[in-house]
Amino acid sequence: MDRQTYQEFNRTIYRQRLANGLLVQLLPMPGFQKTYATFSTDFGSIDNHFIPYHEQEPVRVPDGVAHFLEHKMFEKADHDAFDLFGKLGADSNAYTSFTQTSYLFSTTSHLHENLDVLLDFVQDPYFTTQTVQKEQGIIGQEIKMYDDDADWRLYLGLIGNLYPHDPMRIDIAGTVESISKITPEILMQSYRTFYQPENMNLFIVGNLDPDETLAWIEQNQNAKTFLPAETPRRLFELNDPTAHDVIPFRSLTMNIARPKVMVGLRGIKKFADGRERLRYKLAVDLLLDVLFDDTSDNYLRLYNNEILDDSFGYSFEMQRGFHFAYFSSNTDQMERFADEIVAILESADKQIDAARTRFNGIKRAELGRLIGLLDSPEAIANRYAGRLFDGANLMDEIQTLNSINLEDLYQVAKEFITPQGISVYQVVPQHQ
Amino acid sequence: MHFDLASGVGLHVIPTQQFKMTHVLITFTTPQTRDNATARNLLANLLETSTHRYPTQTALARQLANLYGAYVGMGVGRVGSLHTVRLRASFVNDQIAGTNLFDQVVDLINEILFHPLIDDNEFDGPTFRIQAHNLEQTITALYDDKQFYANRQLMNLYYPDDSIMRVPSFGQVADLTKLTAQNLVKVYQDMIEHDRVDIFVLGDVDPTTVKEALGQLPFTPRQVGTMRPFYQQALYPTIQRQVEHQPVVQAKLNLGYQLPVYYQDDNYYAGLVFNGLFGGTPYSKLFTNVREKASLAYYATSRLLPFTGFLGIQTGIQAGDAKWVEDLIAQQLEELCAGKFSAGQLAEVQDSLVNQYRASHDLANNLLGRELLRALLNLPPETAVTEKINAVTAADVSRVAKMVKMQAIYLLSGEK
Repeated sequence: MDRQTYQEFNRTIYRQRLANGLLVQLLPMPGFQKTYATFSTDFGSIDNHFIPYHEQEPVRVPDGVAHFLEHKMFEKADHDAFDLFGKLGADSNAYTSFTQTSYLFSTTSHLHENLDVLLDFVQDPYFTTQTVQKEQGIIGQEIKMYDDDADWRLYLGLIGNLYPHDPMRIDIAGTVESISKITPEILMQSYRTFYQPENMNLFIVGNLDPDETLAWIEQNQNAKTFLPAETPRRLFELNDPTAHDVIPFRSLTMNIARPKVMVGLRGIKKFADGRERLRYKLAVDLLLDVLFDDTSDNYLRLYNNEILDDSFGYSFEMQRGFHFAYFSSNTDQMERFADEIVAILESADKQIDAARTRFNGIKRAELGRLIGLLDSPEAIANRYAGRLFDGANLMDEIQTLNSINLEDLYQVAKEFITPQGISVYQVVPQHQ
Repeated sequence: MHFDLASGVGLHVIPTQQFKMTHVLITFTTPQTRDNATARNLLANLLETSTHRYPTQTALARQLANLYGAYVGMGVGRVGSLHTVRLRASFVNDQIAGTNLFDQVVDLINEILFHPLIDDNEFDGPTFRIQAHNLEQTITALYDDKQFYANRQLMNLYYPDDSIMRVPSFGQVADLTKLTAQNLVKVYQDMIEHDRVDIFVLGDVDPTTVKEALGQLPFTPRQVGTMRPFYQQALYPTIQRQVEHQPVVQAKLNLGYQLPVYYQDDNYYAGLVFNGLFGGTPYSKLFTNVREKASLAYYATSRLLPFTGFLGIQTGIQAGDAKWVEDLIAQQLEELCAGKFSAGQLAEVQDSLVNQYRASHDLANNLLGRELLRALLNLPPETAVTEKINAVTAADVSRVAKMVKMQAIYLLSGEK
């Protein structure tokens, strides 16, 4: 087993790629009662166009398949994996993003048995017409719940502006119409293509003994036979990699009291490898803090002029194949908010010049936030993004962040902020 | 470890090497009234915004950034009928920071609590106006979340007009107009001089050093009586019903029951297990029968408020199914009364509660929350929790189920 120690945080991570291709990572946290495990595949809602396992012709599957599959994995012919975890005193769950599906449990007892349940239920697909039909009802309600959620509509609306012809524009769960086309055959085809051990990783954090835990996992995997590995053939390509297809503005009317606005910025940079991607992501995080965090003069001015309020937030999302930033607030001055955000972005160089004295504090604050996450097994495992950042974990992230300087931000600002990538989305109260 | 810094001002230190962060919680506790929640929330907002030494939120934020992005924030909460203003701080521990952050954070807490931006007996005018306006906007925006809105509407149906519990801990927009930069100073003085104060410090710290540092905070002695958080109200002669129509895609059906089971009373653990079987866990009857088997809802959950004697159910459904869902929920409750659940289900729920309890020791905020309850109620350290959960029998669950009295039903529907 490969091991790496991070002296400054008193943490050691253990890694092993198993014979079947599955990557196992173990991070003991002394003093913790809980063990948290995630079993993830590089398969998300945007992976709807691919050449299936051992086939020749490309297929397009209905929107929402990855999420539907996630729901259906738990149900088996004579039991539900959820109940097995329950009987072992564990909490279990799963989630799907644009590019990833994760199955997880958290437990304070029976780690060995719970690990077996996790590996077994994800590696034993069972889909029937009847169970698929039943799930269409539940997921239909989930989609409708999000339809009434103004913040979610704002976020998804903005992504629709930034990527108007790409699969990200659709809700991760799909639509009531698209999920009605899902069949057991489609689920199985996606499963075979993307749930191969070689496309998955197991990350376990908290109360554990590395040698013993690895032995349990190997024992479980060695008892199973797997089909020969075949790297998934995704056919994802951005409609326009230069982002000239971005829709600059749309708005939606909803039954709410406070107007909401979100400004988006789509990046177009391509990356040589995952470490470069991680460094870029962390540098953009710092850049956005320089421009907009609560230590900036910009923030105080906009706050005091009531152009934004305490609901203001911004974030940068880096995913497989795309990245973007967004800035949002509840505000009565939606146009003004958008104009101000864009003006600040476009004068980034001057803003960085002016931030020389603030930069150390900003970087230290960002470091402090990441160090805080070291106390959370969930945060450490959920933040792990696998191949996207070439296997970097939270401790690697902290070290990379430490190496970024103010000078790096000029280059990042130049690459990231392009006029065609900017867009605005509003959610407006009905009466206005 | 417990110290009295002054009469009515307690310090509780919990040393542990488990975490990389140090956590501080300071609570100001007083009985909630019809008027004080809104005022105290606005006060919390003003205090965390600026101080004499840091007269803008930017100046304060820059100081926090220099302290390794220390978080220091204020908010409000409630324990039953007691209203609390809370200061929370969390920051990298001194060992990792390589400097004495603890003293610097305490110094900042001293600024925030004892040197607010008050001159000539009034809060700074522009800051007051903006924070009052922002609070109005923030409270208004909360109700844009339909799940939140439906829950508040159920509470308004459940609590009688004259109940202090009708006012949420964060206050209400209508009360803001009564508040001024002058009269809020009185609210501040009341809180800082007369509220019961509890201070909790959790992390890799030395209790004596902590006591010395926090002993510098100029708290004065105060008279605090016994705190009674437990809320009770009379039963309604008939069920309160309300149907409201709004353009929503998903309907919300919420039910409110009275369940006189209170924190740490004889029925408490039976109440927790009952709630877990009813709708409080994924192994519950609501989850299994309303969501999984009948496919009627994405969520259908129950929760027990053990300081209020209240049990609530929230569901997100199709409006046309409302009657069906209501009947199905009633049936689940009847089955619990009749003991119709398996030993396996009971054990699953117990295991889940035990797991939650154990896992809560890994979360600093959970530990602090529990310490707060213990301090307020003057309880000894909790022992044998696992055993108490596991000792609950099927008969105990049925006994508690029979104490449940339906009081209010609220439906938010998109269909007319």
